[in-house]
Amino acid sequence: MEVRAARALEVGEWPMVFETLVRLDESGRVQPALAISWRHDASGQRWQFRLRPNMKFHDGSPLAGEAVAAALGANGWTCGTAGPEVVVQTGAPVAVAEFADARRAVFVRGSDGSLQGTGPFRLAQWESRRATLAANEDYWAGRPFLDAVAIEMGRTAQQQLLNLELGKADLIELGPNDVRRAVQSGARIWTSAPVTLMALRFERGRPAAEDAKLREALALSIDRAAILNVLLQRRGEAAGGLLPQWLSGYAMLFSAARDAARARQLVTGAPLLSLASDPADALARTIADRIAVNTREAGIRLLTQAGGNADLYLVRARIAPPVAGPALARLAASLEVSDLFHVSGPGLESLYAGERALVEEFRVIPLFHLPEIYGASPRLKTWATPGLARTGEWRLDDLWLDSELP
Amino acid sequence: MTFRTRMLVSFALAVVVTAALVTWVVSVMTRRTFEQADDRRTATLVAQFRREFERRQEDLVRRVEAIAAMQSTLDMAVELSRPEPDYAPYVNEAGALAAAHALDLVELLAQDGTIVSSAQWPARFGYKAEWVKEQADWKDAFLKSEELPNETVLAMVAVRAVSAGGSNLYVAGGYRLDRGFLGSLVLPAGMRVLLYHNCEPRFSAQALTDAAGPARGAERLAPLIEQVREERREATRTIEWPDGPETFQAIPLEGRQNELLGVLLVGSSRRELAALAARIHWAGGLAAGFGILLGIGLSYWAARRLTGPVAQLARGAREVAAGNWNARVSVASRDEIGELARAFNSMIQDLISQRDRLLQAERVAAWRELARRLAHELKNPLFPLQITIETLQRAKEQAPGEFDEIFRESAATLLAELANLKTIIGRFSDFAKMPAPQLEPVDLNEIVRGAVRLFDAQLRAGSHAPIAPELDCDPGLGMIRADPEQVTRALHNLILNAIDAMPAGGTLRIRTRRAEDRAHLEVSDTGQGLTKEECERLFTPYYTTKRHGTGLGLAIVQSVVADHHGKISVESEPGRGATFRIELPEG
Repeated sequence: MEVRAARALEVGEWPMVFETLVRLDESGRVQPALAISWRHDASGQRWQFRLRPNMKFHDGSPLAGEAVAAALGANGWTCGTAGPEVVVQTGAPVAVAEFADARRAVFVRGSDGSLQGTGPFRLAQWESRRATLAANEDYWAGRPFLDAVAIEMGRTAQQQLLNLELGKADLIELGPNDVRRAVQSGARIWTSAPVTLMALRFERGRPAAEDAKLREALALSIDRAAILNVLLQRRGEAAGGLLPQWLSGYAMLFSAARDAARARQLVTGAPLLSLASDPADALARTIADRIAVNTREAGIRLLTQAGGNADLYLVRARIAPPVAGPALARLAASLEVSDLFHVSGPGLESLYAGERALVEEFRVIPLFHLPEIYGASPRLKTWATPGLARTGEWRLDDLWLDSELP
Repeated sequence: MTFRTRMLVSFALAVVVTAALVTWVVSVMTRRTFEQADDRRTATLVAQFRREFERRQEDLVRRVEAIAAMQSTLDMAVELSRPEPDYAPYVNEAGALAAAHALDLVELLAQDGTIVSSAQWPARFGYKAEWVKEQADWKDAFLKSEELPNETVLAMVAVRAVSAGGSNLYVAGGYRLDRGFLGSLVLPAGMRVLLYHNCEPRFSAQALTDAAGPARGAERLAPLIEQVREERREATRTIEWPDGPETFQAIPLEGRQNELLGVLLVGSSRRELAALAARIHWAGGLAAGFGILLGIGLSYWAARRLTGPVAQLARGAREVAAGNWNARVSVASRDEIGELARAFNSMIQDLISQRDRLLQAERVAAWRELARRLAHELKNPLFPLQITIETLQRAKEQAPGEFDEIFRESAATLLAELANLKTIIGRFSDFAKMPAPQLEPVDLNEIVRGAVRLFDAQLRAGSHAPIAPELDCDPGLGMIRADPEQVTRALHNLILNAIDAMPAGGTLRIRTRRAEDRAHLEVSDTGQGLTKEECERLFTPYYTTKRHGTGLGLAIVQSVVADHHGKISVESEPGRGATFRIELPEG
């Protein structure tokens, strides 16, 4: 198995190694994981979880309540134990789904300093560009079918595709433009829900960032549909808001339509702006060029560049599900607009109002919600669900290889 | 300037002018020849470049045709010919085709000109390029100004249409005409190509590039480019760079609508030709310089050879003039110079013969004059002697009583006349025995004053009218080296001459002065003067204008002056007295 390292390795993003107290199934419902039951007070700020009995970390050490409390406490919560239960004081009302957040995974450091989880696989080897996972023989839900998973990182999309076609890889990460070729080579495509926001972010302090009409005109001039249909090969959603529809439920209320005429009315004599994108992200560069083409029609000249300081940045921001509110707050933080994000109270309406207020500042212009896309070798078998969670994490414990195939 | 120098200068001038003229003619002809050769070379290079440019156009057409002929392209055309075609799957096709066929530009365009895929500007999909519909049947490659995300470039483009399902899929491919393209051209040595992209209303130095990037010295080429921009036709100009000249042929590059898209400058270096011409010029100059030096040397030799006999003639003439009658000119040549030398020698020989004859005649004349003078001088005392003796004889015979008385008187007369004869003989003896001067410091003024004192009584004698002496002695005359006795004797002779010349009285002026390191002595009288003929013969020995003179006085004066290496001259006119001038050296 081979994947391209598109993001830094964090324990929370490896649910097959590190598990949370609860997890979400494909329908988004909360299911027991390390905890077999839970309860909370009326305010939703005090939670008590009963751990699954006889649980052990990969190094054989028992899963004690103190270890769980210490892992959860690293996220700013106040945690402790009360008999067999772990008590969590969140300080603010939270939903139980937040305990399924991969960043709340439970782990300890072993005697050799390595991270020890409880998932179906353990981290057997870790090198700079290669990791090996080995099956957890004592996994509480049963030993995974695969004995080991070798993960190659730092490979280009072309190399990954070639390896998939040559049978040297069973699972690769795909970009939208690679899907067609992967399908032609017989691969099955696994797609998550949109979990990445692609957006334009104005650099604070630059003159262009302080011109509200220019910001709005720029937002209105972008033809998201054409980009989505052609460059993204319809893999994703045009975004008018920050959160995807599947997570917020109100994203369709944000308009992502182009209004070039309105944009031209808003701006006259716009200065030449610079738009930077990730030098390593070819797709982003092409999208940036396309945006420049769109804005030129509205009278806004964008000079695209790979990296460096610029008036605008085309960025990708990972949306951390599963709960909309925290996800939006984290998204605002990653986009450096936390100061513009205010939620007046609990409830979806308040969240919507906060997000709208943030979006209508046009300091961040949402463009697309993009899914994680993987190409799986035909010999990689699974029961009914793909080896990819809705939120984009791998689910490799129910996979096996069809050794009959060449 | 000597004759030899003039001849040398003339010869050298002739050589220099000839050499300079030859060098100039050679230089002009060389330059013209090289210019013609350079023009032919430039024309050849430009023709080569045109062939290379055409070859690249044909190559481009072949590559685009190859893309159009691909099965995948045909499949694409079929898919895109369907109603409401989906362009999304093909958005990256152009990039792949461009990479596979080594093209800078590839665009796939639908029937209506919609850009399905663009290699040079992938983000431009969906927009329309109306120009592709201008022709249904594209053939040759053409030039086009191609807009890219951040710039506009000049491109060579070819288009081919792929028909499927009643509609066309256009394949447009091309090369960017940029430094890379210029660098890929196979050019002959000494040639380079620059490209000016005519994208600004006015000349822009940044728009001029060569294979290495922005062209250096672009401003120097601005007039040529402006000329092409205005006239829309080819132009040629030579630019003088610091490292040599370079001829540029500027070719206008026009697009489909005959719009001027750019100017191609084909540069042909003239450095090697210029260096060769410079070497030839240098060699010519060196040869001319060597020729001039050789010419000057030969001129010197010829002048010397020609003027040598003349110089010998001059030297012979000077020697003859100095009294060397044995001088001869030895010239062996048979030319005019030899003839002249022989004539010179013959003339000298004739002169010697004439001189000898003249000397003989003069000697005879002198002897005759001497004999006449002696006869005259001796005859005067002899006649009284004869009369006295005859008187004694007659007294003896006729008056013996008075004989004693007569004898005493006659004896006295005889003795007086014998004394007179002795005096005459003594003068001749003195002249013959003129001794060599004994030089010693002498005060000439004092000699003059002494002489005037000596003759003072005689000047005032009652035998003739008084003569007034006037002295004008230069106090700055100083001492001279001379024989005081001889100088005194010469001065006495001149004073006696002056007294004899003024029987009716007059003024005797004696003046001394110093001039040009010589002592001058003038003795003037106010007597009857001398004729020109008398002046010429005045210093001839035994010549006299006086009735009783011996003709030796002035001869002695001249002899004394000559023995002192001085000069004597006389200036006189009849009735206006005479002035004798003596110059004596100081030492």
